[in-house]
Amino acid sequence: MTGLTTTDLPTVPVGLAEGDEMPLTTAGPMTRTDFVRYAGASGDFHPLHHDEIYARDAGLPCVFAMGLLHAGILGDQLARWVGPDNIRRFAVRFTGQVWPGDELTFTGRVERVEDGDGVRLAHLVLTVTRQTGDPAITATATAQIG
Amino acid sequence: VDDADGFAQLEPVGRPHAGSHAADGDGPDEPLAERGGVGGLAETVGADLSQVLHGEAAWEYVVPVRMGDTLTARQKVADVTQRQGKRGGTMTLVTIDTEFTNQRGELAVRRTDTLIEREI
Repeated sequence: MTGLTTTDLPTVPVGLAEGDEMPLTTAGPMTRTDFVRYAGASGDFHPLHHDEIYARDAGLPCVFAMGLLHAGILGDQLARWVGPDNIRRFAVRFTGQVWPGDELTFTGRVERVEDGDGVRLAHLVLTVTRQTGDPAITATATAQIG
Repeated sequence: VDDADGFAQLEPVGRPHAGSHAADGDGPDEPLAERGGVGGLAETVGADLSQVLHGEAAWEYVVPVRMGDTLTARQKVADVTQRQGKRGGTMTLVTIDTEFTNQRGELAVRRTDTLIEREI
């Protein structure tokens, strides 16, 4: 998940068509260290994500990932695919928690292409799925593709 | 969310529900609201931190953000609704809107978060 450089990123709209799929990527196994690194990067020091005792007191088996951590990785993949300046909208819905040891798969697909106002837009559906098959995120995005 | 003038800087409201977790020294040593992140959002609106989930997040990108830009964020509680949870109990859904404006006064990014507080 590291090594994203600006030279990798499309700078002009990428001509996608309905049914096109984002290159499949994976991340993990996710670790408590990943959560702590993201706490520092994001400023989110909610103790449920780094304090095992606090998490157990709250009735959870252990700490779990901030949703924005894997949402951010998904956003990276989206930016690689369509180019960061071409993303008009990105919306994620957190459908399940991500736990230490989880291995995540990131997918995306063009659901619909729309022409209007001199630009062509792609409406995308994206997912983050755990190794169990449970979805952690279902997402939609809109990207300019022409 | 049409009334942009209705946005206000949210002030930290302290840690009304930190309770015993903070007392035993395991909690954060400063209010989360001053550190940012979604935990900070939850604390800012006075939610019980241990019972809050991040339900949704959405970003609308209006003007590109470039290196050297200075962004000003304004947040407001846009909506609070309650509904019955699937396993009983009441869930409170809080929608928080954040607008990021650049140094030229242009709206660069509009973000919407939904926090879910479960009744204990």
